[in-house]
Amino acid sequence: MISVNLFPYLLGLAAFLFTAGAAGVLIRRNPIVVFMCIELMLNAGNVALIAYGRFLHSQEGQVFAFMVIIVAAAEVVVGLALITQVFRLGRQLDVDDLNEMSE
Amino acid sequence: MNVLLVVVMALAALASLGVVLSRQTIYSALSLVVTVGMISVLFLLLNAQFLFAVQLIIYAGAVMVLFVFIIALLSPDAEDRPAFDYRAIIALIGVAATTILVFVVARNGITYNAQGFRAAALLGACHSQQAVHAACDPYATFSFPPERVNAAGNVQTVAGQLFTTFLFPFEITSLLLLVAAIGAVYLTRRDHRRQQ
Repeated sequence: MISVNLFPYLLGLAAFLFTAGAAGVLIRRNPIVVFMCIELMLNAGNVALIAYGRFLHSQEGQVFAFMVIIVAAAEVVVGLALITQVFRLGRQLDVDDLNEMSE
Repeated sequence: MNVLLVVVMALAALASLGVVLSRQTIYSALSLVVTVGMISVLFLLLNAQFLFAVQLIIYAGAVMVLFVFIIALLSPDAEDRPAFDYRAIIALIGVAATTILVFVVARNGITYNAQGFRAAALLGACHSQQAVHAACDPYATFSFPPERVNAAGNVQTVAGQLFTTFLFPFEITSLLLLVAAIGAVYLTRRDHRRQQ
């Protein structure tokens, strides 16, 4: 049985994972790693949902986390398809180089 | 059990730093595998057995295999940045500040009260009028104390919510997956007209 006193640590872990993922999205240049950091942020949201659901005696947190996992899977499929397409066009895998839309 | 939880949380945090800070893409991917595995153990410790299995199958199974496959296919170079520059230091300060802020907020009970606000309110109504059965039905009150969940099973309670209250969002996710599959096929197809 998990003690309720551990709830702040779980929420702190969720905040840590989320901000680490956000920092990775900001400072990394490889689009594959950027996608991994987005996965990290989604997982952080899942940890917070499950922790709240556990300590509020509710199952909706798990239902929501299930939906988040499905959305993350769909997002990875489309994102990696975009990355392979960028690579096929002969471009370097660097998010700083992919700026056609802003020029 | 609490010691195990702390160890799992520390491993997840360390591996997430590995995802962000390692220069080789494959090291980031392997660190993400460790993070996802530790988070799944965390789900198991938090009485979310169904989510534990789903997390392992979808993340550690499908998504990470997809990532490693793409890394093997594209073989991206290591980033030409120093391993630990001023941006990483600023990011670490931000991560530490946010974590401490959220921890202190949660510690002081601002985000959560010990009774569980909705479960307590609804169960109070349930205990006061025993004649009304709907008020005591966990699917009507949305309140699932651990003993009720353990009596029925985690999979059954999650599925009971998923196929009654959240049936429409659940059906929408199938549409989302279909759209994602069609989009991936469309994006990665070979353009025959351009090659001729």
